[in-house]
Amino acid sequence: MNLFQFCYGLIHWLVDLINNIWYWLGDHLPWAFGDFFTAVGDFARSHEHIAVMAIILEVLIIVIIALVNVLNFIWLDRKFMGRMFDFYGPYYVGYRIGGWLQNLADGIKLFVKEIITPAKADRIGFFLGPVIFVGSSFAALVTIPLGWDFYIGTNAGPTPPGTFPGVPASALIAFMFFAIAPFSILISGWSSNNKYTLIGGMRSAAQMMSYEIPMLLCVASVVLLAGSFSFHGVVAAQHDIWFAIPLFVGFIVFLVCLVAEVEIQPFDLPEAEAELVEGWTTEYCGMRFGLFMMTSYLRGYIGGALAVALFLGGWQGPGFIPDPIWFLLKAYIVFIIVEWMRWSVPRVRVDQMLNIGWKRLLPLAMLNLFIAAVLKVWGVF
Amino acid sequence: MVGRQKRVLKGEIEEPPTRIDGQPEELVIRTLLDMFPSTLTDFKKVRDGLLRAKIERRDLFKACKSLRDNLGFEHLSMISAVEYDSRFEIVYHITSYEKRLLLELITTTPKDDPSVESISAIWGGANWQEREAFDLMGIKFNNHPNLQRILLPSDYLYHPLRKDFTGGG
Amino acid sequence: MAEMWINMGPQHPMTHGLWNLRIKVDGETIVDAEPEVGYLHRGIEKICENRTYTQIIPISDRLCYGSSMTWSHLYCLTVEDLMGIEVPERAEYIRVAVLEMQRIASHLMWLAAYAADLGAMIGFIYTMRDREIWIDLLQSLTGSRITYNFPRIGGVAHDLPANWDRDALRACDYMDKKLKEYEDIFDGSKVFMMRNEGVGILKKEDALNLGVTGPPLRASGVKYDLRKDQPYSVYPELEFQPCYHTDCDCYARFKVRMDEMAMSCHIIRQAINNMPKGKWRVVSPRNAPVGTGLGRVEDPRGEGMMYVVGDGTDRPYRLKIRSPIFVTVSAAPKMLIGYKVADVVAIMGGLDMCIGETDR
Repeated sequence: MNLFQFCYGLIHWLVDLINNIWYWLGDHLPWAFGDFFTAVGDFARSHEHIAVMAIILEVLIIVIIALVNVLNFIWLDRKFMGRMFDFYGPYYVGYRIGGWLQNLADGIKLFVKEIITPAKADRIGFFLGPVIFVGSSFAALVTIPLGWDFYIGTNAGPTPPGTFPGVPASALIAFMFFAIAPFSILISGWSSNNKYTLIGGMRSAAQMMSYEIPMLLCVASVVLLAGSFSFHGVVAAQHDIWFAIPLFVGFIVFLVCLVAEVEIQPFDLPEAEAELVEGWTTEYCGMRFGLFMMTSYLRGYIGGALAVALFLGGWQGPGFIPDPIWFLLKAYIVFIIVEWMRWSVPRVRVDQMLNIGWKRLLPLAMLNLFIAAVLKVWGVF
Repeated sequence: MVGRQKRVLKGEIEEPPTRIDGQPEELVIRTLLDMFPSTLTDFKKVRDGLLRAKIERRDLFKACKSLRDNLGFEHLSMISAVEYDSRFEIVYHITSYEKRLLLELITTTPKDDPSVESISAIWGGANWQEREAFDLMGIKFNNHPNLQRILLPSDYLYHPLRKDFTGGG
Repeated sequence: MAEMWINMGPQHPMTHGLWNLRIKVDGETIVDAEPEVGYLHRGIEKICENRTYTQIIPISDRLCYGSSMTWSHLYCLTVEDLMGIEVPERAEYIRVAVLEMQRIASHLMWLAAYAADLGAMIGFIYTMRDREIWIDLLQSLTGSRITYNFPRIGGVAHDLPANWDRDALRACDYMDKKLKEYEDIFDGSKVFMMRNEGVGILKKEDALNLGVTGPPLRASGVKYDLRKDQPYSVYPELEFQPCYHTDCDCYARFKVRMDEMAMSCHIIRQAINNMPKGKWRVVSPRNAPVGTGLGRVEDPRGEGMMYVVGDGTDRPYRLKIRSPIFVTVSAAPKMLIGYKVADVVAIMGGLDMCIGETDR
C-alpha cells in the first residue's frame, strides 16, 4: 500500500467521522442551512476533495520528515564538529538528550529578532530572494521517494507494467529545481544594495553553476545505466549491484559537486570570506536569515538523499528494516562522510575552486559517462 | 603524502662556524680606515663580533655604500637616534652575515640642524626606521623617498622622544 | 574594472592586532600595497626613560605579548651588557629552557591564527590545545600565562619548582608526537598546499636588502640564525641546527617554523639535562655606569635588538627597541604585488605579525 492509498484511506475515515455531524446538522436545520450543510457533506465525501486532502497530507508527512531530519543534521553537524575539535557540541539545552533542543532554542531566538529591510534595497528582489531559494529547495525535496511505496503521488491502484510509480522523470525534475538556487542567490545579493554582497553573490552563483555541470553529467551516466528518469526506475535497476561500484568515479565526483553546491567547507568561500562578512546573506535579519540557514542544511539533506537514491541503492536493504528507515540511514552515512571532510580541510580559494570544477571534475565526469556507455553497450545493465 | 620536505635536524650535523679570531674584524677596520682616514674616528673592537666606529655625517653615505658593496655588510639592523645636551647621535647597527660581524657606526649632528643623509637607497630596510626616527625624534633624512610620520598621527605637532617634551610621567 | 584602493583594516578579522593594509587592486590582482601601523603606539621608549631598570622588566614583557619572555630576556641582556654583569650558569640554562618553551608557544599561536584564517578550524583548535601544555608549564614556574616578568638583571627571579624538569621533558615527548600529527593535518592536505605553494615569493636579495629577519629570511634560503651565528647566553654549548628552506614562498615559511618547533624541543631537552646547580641570580647594582649596552636575540619573529644608554643614574637615558616585525612588514608590498586578494591572508599570516612590538 503506497503512501497515497494510506493517506486516502485516512482522510476518508476522517471525513466519514466528521460527516456524521454534517449530515445530522443538515437534517435538523431549517431549509437553506440544511441544504447547505448537506451539500458541504456531499462535497467532502467526493473523490476529488479526499484526493486533494490526501495529497496535502502526503506532502505534510514528507516535509515534516525532511524538516525533522534537517534539525537532526544541524545537531549532528555541531556535535560532530565538537567531537572533532575535542569539545562537546551543544550540551546544556536539552541536557538529557544530548543538546538536541539547541536547534529549537536557536530558532526561537531568530524568530524574536527584528526584521530590517535596508532603505535603499530593492524591495521586491529582497523579498523574493529567500522565497525562491526556499521554494525551489522544497520543490526538489518532494520529488524524492523514500521507499518503493513512500512517495508523493496519486497512484491509487497498481501501476501499469513498463512504467514506474510516482512523478514521471522525477530525477530530472529534482535536479531542475535544485538548480534554480543560483538565480535566487544573485537576486538576494544584488538587491541588498551592498558592494560586498554583490561580489559574494556573484562568486556563489559562479561556484554553483560551474559545479552543476559535472554533477549533471554523473546523473546522466546513472540514468543511462538505469534506463529511466524516475527515481523508482533508478533504484530498481540497482537490485543486483549498487551504481557506486561500477561508477565509483562518478560517485566521488558527485559527492564533491554536492559539497560545492551546498556550500560546505572547503567550498564555503562565498559565505566565509567574501570580504569576510557573511557573503550574500549579510543584510537579512531574523528568521529570513534562519530560512537561509535552514535551507542550506535542507539542500544538504536533499543532496544526501539524491546521492543515496542514485548511487547507493536507494532504499534497498535487508527486509527487517522498513524501506524509508534504511534510506534515511544511508543518507546519514553520506552526511557523516561529508562532515568529516568539512572540518578537516582548509578553504579553497575562489579561482582554485573554479579550476577544480572546470578542469578536474568535468573530464572525470565525462570519463564516467564513457564508462557508463561502455557498460550499457556490453549489456551488463 | 604530498609536499613533505626533509627537515634539517639532528643526524645532519654540520660544522659549527669557525672564527679565526680577529681576522674579519681586522680586515674591516683596515679597509675603512684606508678609505676615510680623516672622518672615521674611535674605531675599536668591543668584543668578538662587535665593532664600533664614529664617522662624520658628510661621509656617511659613501661609507655605507662601500660597506654594502665591498665589505659584504648585507643587512641594516637598527637605526637609533639619541639626544644629548649638545648634539644628536644617530647610531647605525649594520650586520654582515658572511663575516658574522656587527658594526656600530655613530654619526653626530649639531643640535640646531639634526639632518643626515638617508641610506634607504642602499638598504631598503632603512626606510621605515628612518621614518620612525623622524617621527619620534625629529631627525630629518635628506633624500628619503617618503619622510612622513609613521607611528603618530600625521597632524601631530611634537617629537615626543626629545628631552624637552615632558607630556607625561 | 578600474584600479581602486581597498582598506583591509583596521578592524578586520584577518589582521591580528590593529593595523591597516591598503591595497590597490585591479580586479582581483594586487597592484600596490601600503601597510599602515601606529594604532597601538604606547610610547614605551619614552616611558622607560622614567622608570628604574627593574621597573622596566614588566614593561618589556608587554612589547610583544605573543612571545613576552624573549623581550624581557633581551632587555636583561642589554642592561647586563651595560652594567658588565656576569650571569651565573644555572640562570643561563633556565633562561634558555624557558626561552625555547616560549618559542614553541609563540609558534603554536601563530599556527592557530594561520590555520583559522585559511579555514582549517581544526588547526586552530588542536594547536591551542597543545599550547596549553607549554603555558601551564610556564605558569607553574612564573605564575602567569602570557606576560611572565621572570628574567631579572643578573639572572632569573627564582629557582625551578619541584618536578618541573620532569614535566618539561614529558611535554617535549608529547610535542614530538603532536608535530607528526600536524604534518598529517597540514602537509597531507592538498588544499593547504594549494593555498601556500608559490604564494608570496620573496627572493633572497630582496629579503637581505629590505631587512627581513627570522623565519621569512630563513625561508628565502639564507642560513642565518642568531643563536648559532652570533650566539648569546649559553647557546654555544648547545647542539642544534638552524632550520632553513630555499623555496621563498609561504609554504617554506610554514615549514621553517614547524622545524624550529622540533628543534626547540631538542634544545629544551639538552638544557634541562645539562643544568648545573648553583645560584640563579646575582645582585645587580642600582645605578648603571655611563656608557651604552647592546643586546641582540633571535626572537620567534626575527632579530630583536635593544640599545640602552646609561648616564650614571638608576634610570636609562635612552632605550631603543628594534622590532623585527616593524621591518618585515615594510617589506610586505614586495611579497604582495602580483597575487590575488585572497592570498593576502596567507602571505600576511605567514609573517606572524604581532602589533605590540611593531608599534611599541
